[in-house]
Amino acid sequence: MLKGRSLLRRNFAFFKLAIVSQLEYRLNFFVDAVMQPLLGTGVEVLLWLGIFQTSGPTFGGFSMQDYLAYVIWSPFISRITSTWLYEYKMIAEIDNGSINGLLVRPMSFFEYYLSQFLGYKFFTTSVSLVIPVGFILYFRLPTDFSRLPIVLVSIFYFLILVQMMSFTIATFAFYLNKVYSLTAAKNFLLWFLTGELLPLDIVPEPYRSWIIGLPFCNAVYLPVGYLTGRLSKEIFLRGFITTTYGILFFAVAGIILWKQGLKKYVGTGA
Amino acid sequence: MIEILARYGRIYGAFFKTSLVSDLEFRANMTIRLIVDFLWYSGQVLMFETLFRHTDHLGTWNLAQVRVFMGLLFVADGLYMLFFSINMDSFSENIRLGQIDFLLVKPINSQFMVSFKKADTSKLGNLLMAVAWMIWSLSKLGDWNANRLFWLIILIPSGLVSLYAFRFFFVTLAIFFTNSANVQYIWYQFYHLGMKPDSIYRPWIRVALFVIAPVSLMANVPARALMDPFNPGLYLASVLVAAFFLYLSHRFWNFALKFHSSASS
Repeated sequence: MLKGRSLLRRNFAFFKLAIVSQLEYRLNFFVDAVMQPLLGTGVEVLLWLGIFQTSGPTFGGFSMQDYLAYVIWSPFISRITSTWLYEYKMIAEIDNGSINGLLVRPMSFFEYYLSQFLGYKFFTTSVSLVIPVGFILYFRLPTDFSRLPIVLVSIFYFLILVQMMSFTIATFAFYLNKVYSLTAAKNFLLWFLTGELLPLDIVPEPYRSWIIGLPFCNAVYLPVGYLTGRLSKEIFLRGFITTTYGILFFAVAGIILWKQGLKKYVGTGA
Repeated sequence: MIEILARYGRIYGAFFKTSLVSDLEFRANMTIRLIVDFLWYSGQVLMFETLFRHTDHLGTWNLAQVRVFMGLLFVADGLYMLFFSINMDSFSENIRLGQIDFLLVKPINSQFMVSFKKADTSKLGNLLMAVAWMIWSLSKLGDWNANRLFWLIILIPSGLVSLYAFRFFFVTLAIFFTNSANVQYIWYQFYHLGMKPDSIYRPWIRVALFVIAPVSLMANVPARALMDPFNPGLYLASVLVAAFFLYLSHRFWNFALKFHSSASS
């Protein structure tokens, strides 16, 4: 019991640490939490308004209102479910040897970064949520706000998978020099597979079904589709199962690579 | 003047050689970076190819024309990534850690030093992919005048200069704000707008992307020179805009340096 409480207290401290670090450079935070989603949404809206100017009233079976709702939610949600910052930090810890200082502490490397990652995402999401909500209400676009709480739960559940993937990638730093480009490779792949690049509705079959069978569409396509009424509850809830499979897969891969990596790792100098 | 240019050319040659040696040291990383860029290009191609499954035109261009536009975009992007991007991306961190001071004390132009000290030689592979795509897309274009390729010799460099100057403005903000990593995302959003055929935008946005945030010059103006009716006024204007932004970037850099205080060295 005491152990569980101390675990919670410790992780809450990591959670708060991420929030405090974010507020250290306020302009940077303002851009991250407000300007980025605002501009990202603005750019996507401009692009789809342009497409509809030349394509007619519907596109791939959906109206302009449907696409606008999708592209307003999509950059917001993809920003929550994508990660560069903490993955780079984890790789850097192993790469430059500063991980030594973390290994000797009474905590795990994984929980240290997971709690910080969740703290950072929780805080920036809370601040920037007002932007898509504002856009949707202003333009009166299709969104079922009663679905928002369950969608946010699914997104934060997906973040555990995101962190598992980051952890697995970071462990490659035990074996290879300079693995930062793996992060970029993963994020570009996710760019296709999550539905961030394009709504998956307009992707031809059988590719669409293949992509929906993977856990990655839970990052953007399923939550946005469910929120905007394009997808049914059954398809959305199936996403929890595929996310769980993804978490299990990356947990096993990450643990194996971590254990083998630690045996190989020689901590000198740092 | 020629002597100064030759000197800077020699210095850049040395930077490039050092960068190549350094990149070849981590070959696995270099290979993954090539794969990443291949994925990025594939993403752009996939996006437009998928959109054209549902429409015949985007703005004023059809699929064959948009493919040529993408070819020019990839070439311009490849050159930008090869020469500038890596230096711009690391600038904010260099300011925060105080490493910029080492560059400022070198006996050459400081803007040149911070903008060109490293080349990302893995992007040479991008350029090859980009040129291959462009040749293929031009072969599918049908009726076009090969003499117009001449304009690319002027318009691609001028597009690159304006892109660099505009980015350099954002990068320089790090001197005032110390950590401006996220500010760079604002630039990326403009860049994102420049990566689409500008004829899909409303006229006022098109004008803004030409003279206020000159990202259209990167691929849209060269693509127009190849595929749209001859328009010398547009070509001259893009050269002038590039020169003006380069001048502004230099003035802004000199102004910002007055506020620079070493971070930690």
